[in-house]
Amino acid sequence: MLAQQLINGLSVGGIYALLSTGYALIYSLLGFSNWAHGEVAMLGAYIAVMSVIAAKLPFVASLALALAGAALISLVNEKFFYRHIRNNNSPTMFLMIAAMGLSTTYKNLIVVLVGPKFKYFPQILPFESFEFCGINVGVLDIFSIVVSLAAIVLLDVLIYHTKFGLGIRGCASDSVTAELLGVNVNRYILIVFLLAGGLAGCAGVLLGMKYTVYPSLGNVALKAFIASVFGGLGSIRGAILGAFMIGILETLVSAYVSSGLRDLFTFGLLIAILLIRPEGLLGKSVEQKS
Amino acid sequence: MLSVTDVHVSYGGIRALRGATLHVKPGEIVAVLGANGAGKTTLLKAISGMVPCTGEILFKGAKRPSSTYRLAGCGLCHVPEGRRILANLTVLENLQLGAFSRTDKRGVAEDLERVLTLFPRLRERLGQYGGLLSGGEQQMLAISRGLMGRPDLLMLDEPSLGLAPIIVKQIFDIIREISSFGTAILLVEQNAFKALSICGRAYILSVGEIVKTGAREELLDNQTLIQGYLG
Repeated sequence: MLAQQLINGLSVGGIYALLSTGYALIYSLLGFSNWAHGEVAMLGAYIAVMSVIAAKLPFVASLALALAGAALISLVNEKFFYRHIRNNNSPTMFLMIAAMGLSTTYKNLIVVLVGPKFKYFPQILPFESFEFCGINVGVLDIFSIVVSLAAIVLLDVLIYHTKFGLGIRGCASDSVTAELLGVNVNRYILIVFLLAGGLAGCAGVLLGMKYTVYPSLGNVALKAFIASVFGGLGSIRGAILGAFMIGILETLVSAYVSSGLRDLFTFGLLIAILLIRPEGLLGKSVEQKS
Repeated sequence: MLSVTDVHVSYGGIRALRGATLHVKPGEIVAVLGANGAGKTTLLKAISGMVPCTGEILFKGAKRPSSTYRLAGCGLCHVPEGRRILANLTVLENLQLGAFSRTDKRGVAEDLERVLTLFPRLRERLGQYGGLLSGGEQQMLAISRGLMGRPDLLMLDEPSLGLAPIIVKQIFDIIREISSFGTAILLVEQNAFKALSICGRAYILSVGEIVKTGAREELLDNQTLIQGYLG
């Protein structure tokens, strides 16, 4: 029973991590919470489900299409909205409000274009579950864990072990200085939006397969946002840790306490963390001397 | 190397720089002196394209690139005011970022060794976060990070700011040493006597205008001028 819940928790946590790392990346560069991030995931899920149901594409092709589509939408958000607001030297709050506006627009656009009804992925994996050492393991959970872990490991390597990642972390630390040292900051921001969008699209598809696809699917990103606050806003590894913690906590509470109290525990833990360690679990408060 | 002609910068209605003209030849140390608010930092920011300006700025005989991020690759490094160490990157990562626009791995490794020989203190601290260094060490790191781009011209904005006199002396000795390798240096300083002790020529900036220029000895002899403009 416990092992089964842990697998479930890891699978939910992995999906949260795909989203929370995107929040963390964008927050670390631009200092605002991208409230349209969940809707990027939702749109990714729609692209996949519609291309499977309506266009009869094979699943792998629809997944690739969803990742590309979500990355592109995320790029559009940056290039046509956020960038102009930044260039106007507007306060960061304006970015957040714009993101909220985009979030609402996308949700309603889907209602208008596709309709408010739930969409289901057809059975894609060969079977639903199998017995392993006496526990019943969901194939979809394993699939989701493998996909999200692979994406997260790749992201971690990219950010912490490549020159490209050094550039991103440089921009995150101080974009003016990074620019002086030769980093094309605006280009890096665009690439980060592409990356975050792709990850969100992947999360959207996994969520859609696990549950269903509907216009307010993106609301689940709130949990991922909490995960990134949890781990330390702007810290990629913190966001990953926070996501898995929340995923596991939620499934354990649902299984052993009550699924109705799940959110109470999550938000309660958030408040506790903010009171005890406001910089988050892995958040750093290294300040520059002047 | 660098030639700046009639450069103007305005912030809103305030004219921070009114027709600055100066030049730096290869291998020389040129100082720009002036009191607080004279426009020294603005001058460097204009050269780096960090603030919009009018006038002509030529670097190595050609118009300098309009995007700031391209400058490092052209051989112009700007060590900004207040050092601006990337606080949550390690010392080594700060240095690697200094070589960001370079692709010659071997040259970068050589330069890393060179700056660590210039500043042995940094070698002991390579794995530490930049934000944890002392003020003096941060200035050493900022200069080293600039050198990692292997610049032909290094622009230093107030390297003595907020440092103890003994550290200031060390830093200025090293600036002189860097220049002896052939790197041209444009040094902006409030500490006029210290700057005049190492530079070949200097410009004096007052309220956005260059009011005097001359060789080091000429300016040092003119005590009234120094007292009048630099206090």
